[in-house]
Amino acid sequence: MTTLWDTTGSDVVRALAAERRSAGALAFGLALTLVVVVDEKHVGVAESAATTAAAAHPCRLLIVVRRQLDAASSRLDAEVSIGGRLGPGEAVVMRMFGRLSLHAESVVLPLLAPDAPVITWWHGVPPDHIAYDPLGVFADRRVTDTSAADDPVAALRQRAADFAPGDTDLAWTRLTAWRTLIAAAFESLTERPRAATIAGGDRDPSVCLLSGWLSDRLGLPVSVETKSHHGLAEVRFDLNDGELTVARQDSRTAVLKRPGQPDRAVPLAERGLGDLLAEELRRLDHDGPYADALAAWSTVKGLAARSPVREHIWRDPMASSVDSPGTTGTTGTITRKTGTIAGAAG
Amino acid sequence: MTPTVNTNPLRDPRDRRLPRLPDPCALVVFGVTGDLARKKLIPAVYDLANRGLLPPGFVLLGFARRDWTDSDFAEIIREAAAEGARTPFREEVWERLAASIKLVPGSFNDDHAFDTLAQTLLDLEHTHGIPGNAAFYLSIPPSAFPVVLKQMQRTGMASNEASGGWRRVVVEKPFGHDQDSARALNELVDEVFTPEDVFRIDHYLGKETVQNLLALRFANTLFEPIWNSHFVDSVQITMAEDVGIGSRAGFYDETGAARDVLQNHLLQLLALTAMEEPVSFNAEAIRYEKLKVLRAVSLPADFAGYAVRGQYEQGWLAGRRVKGYLEEDGVPAESRTETYAAVRIGIETRRWAGVPFYLRTGKRLPRRVTEIAVSFKPAPHLPFNTTDTTELGHNQLVVRVQPDEGVTLKFGSKVPGSAMEVRDVAMDFLFGEAFTESLPEAYERLILDVLLGDATLFPNNAEVIESWRVIDPMEDYWARTVPFRYRAGSWGPAAADEMLARDGRRWRRP
Repeated sequence: MTTLWDTTGSDVVRALAAERRSAGALAFGLALTLVVVVDEKHVGVAESAATTAAAAHPCRLLIVVRRQLDAASSRLDAEVSIGGRLGPGEAVVMRMFGRLSLHAESVVLPLLAPDAPVITWWHGVPPDHIAYDPLGVFADRRVTDTSAADDPVAALRQRAADFAPGDTDLAWTRLTAWRTLIAAAFESLTERPRAATIAGGDRDPSVCLLSGWLSDRLGLPVSVETKSHHGLAEVRFDLNDGELTVARQDSRTAVLKRPGQPDRAVPLAERGLGDLLAEELRRLDHDGPYADALAAWSTVKGLAARSPVREHIWRDPMASSVDSPGTTGTTGTITRKTGTIAGAAG
Repeated sequence: MTPTVNTNPLRDPRDRRLPRLPDPCALVVFGVTGDLARKKLIPAVYDLANRGLLPPGFVLLGFARRDWTDSDFAEIIREAAAEGARTPFREEVWERLAASIKLVPGSFNDDHAFDTLAQTLLDLEHTHGIPGNAAFYLSIPPSAFPVVLKQMQRTGMASNEASGGWRRVVVEKPFGHDQDSARALNELVDEVFTPEDVFRIDHYLGKETVQNLLALRFANTLFEPIWNSHFVDSVQITMAEDVGIGSRAGFYDETGAARDVLQNHLLQLLALTAMEEPVSFNAEAIRYEKLKVLRAVSLPADFAGYAVRGQYEQGWLAGRRVKGYLEEDGVPAESRTETYAAVRIGIETRRWAGVPFYLRTGKRLPRRVTEIAVSFKPAPHLPFNTTDTTELGHNQLVVRVQPDEGVTLKFGSKVPGSAMEVRDVAMDFLFGEAFTESLPEAYERLILDVLLGDATLFPNNAEVIESWRVIDPMEDYWARTVPFRYRAGSWGPAAADEMLARDGRRWRRP
């Protein structure tokens, strides 16, 4: 492991090359680069999730921590390791201070694995427009997590407004186990259900996406029953002779009920952040079903037809914080200049 | 295959996050307390459950001769799962699975036991919502096949129509011991089950690297143009084991290395290496191309020179002294069974005419390794001084099937320095590095395929018969000879090395 204080991007590239040589990993089978954008407060959580995911999909891990945007002078600290605490692959943790944070790509671009796909994951509140963050612009896949936002539902709506093919949200990934179960329960069904009801937290973006997916695939009315606790509790389908129900029992199991059949306990494990991220790394192409579900829920049309390429929009959060007092100068703040999304973050 | 997939509105071919789950079904294992079932089947079923790949309605029915109580049986199965599972053993997953494991005790000639089994399968419709679907896994010696199959026929268990769902049967190797016995076995099984419902397990085909061979060949432009006799000098397919025969003396002494490994694993690897591009990636198309290659296999005219077999004698392996084959428990002192077989065969097609395929397998070799090595012809002209390229060998592409699954490419490269000197270097691709997404165990994949009804990775009748056509003449020749001796811990008898030396080649050390 090499730790570099107050360094430059070129020195980081050199340190990584030196680590590679000493690890004897010159012919490493690098399949992708994972860029993680995270706040200092959550570095530990993001690191451990990224390490879990990297163990399933060896990748070059680039963790970018932006700090003190208002610091008087820019500064870069970096930690380069191969086969160290951040899993078996290559990892670089970069802390960027001051104005450098706004130009993070100048450090990250030369560190990307040659001609391999790039996935950028924002651990915390997603940027309102991914085009604002150059680390999202060059990525082939962009993974957000709207559940981290203050108002997750509004944040998900914003994901639809800002959508480009290649975007996914972890709220969708959290649904995979549910969707697997529901699809399996439909396998031997001979009739189309008349209606569906989802019981779950009203501010849960996964509930929103599930209703979008069901209405898109089944073309039936989906109503949402609000439950006080978080997360998804139950999904019911109206059939001719009763109800088909999938209900969560505990953090590992669900119960599947069907008319005329005994109830069955089926596995439905809550997965950790690392496992969710690993699932995202498995898919490097556009996720059509996600776009359709998001479109169906948000009623924003033509999501899948949008261009997958974004162009960077220069935006200085420092400047915008002057414009609108009351917001702090961190990234992810909404600029009042872009009227379409004002108020999205509540 | 299953029509419901198309009609399920929630299935979307683009939705690759959702795994395909089998229909609600039962897996009936005959010989559930046997070695294979405990070491491979039960752990594989647990791993499938743990990954959430079993359908909501799933029942494992064990049929065993011994009089186990239900709790003894549950304990044995539990131990097997906990020991053999590759995914972490989780109590709650196990409890859910254990709740759907049932034991049907009885012996194979006990009519009552089979009636009970048939009734249990019928009852699953009401108790577990399983509409007649069942796969029967025959983890029993071939000698017990006739009686078990007859019982299934008598009770109507094997019939798709009578059950209202699908009924499939899984058969393990050996698929007979020569062409005639294989044909008889096929007829026996096909009489009870419909031929497309018979799944013959060759667990090598469940391995990721073997499937990757097809991806390597047919998904890239790089390799296919040179995959023919213009560029390929020879192909070596090796399956080496460091273990001896263990406690299988009775079975092994009747079988030998050629029937045990060459007939199935090696010829299947050969077929996948040499076959033409299938018109699509489905069971029928792939089996069709494999069969074409097997039909084109030609045997050497000179068996004495090109079909070498050996038998290990005592020696040192991995720092320990090991017994010779004849000293193993249960092996007759005058046994002429081979534990090593090496053979040169040809493939009489336009693509492969003149390219020798060397196949070898053996026990008590220095290490466990299975690989396919394609060796390319030397460059037609080398514009270097001859002294510059003395250390340059043939270019090689090696598919490592196990262990260290991956691909190695060997080619010449300049040695850094002021002189022009070219030497072989190896470029390694390790499966575990690019995708460690834990490689599923072969049995896990194959059992899932059986339940899904996907026969792509299972050899069919015709392939088995055709493979025996290759083996039988060699066995006939060998029946009149005594195997060469080789020391345990060496790479086989000297005669095998001479066989390649005669062709101006040598075995690759894997």
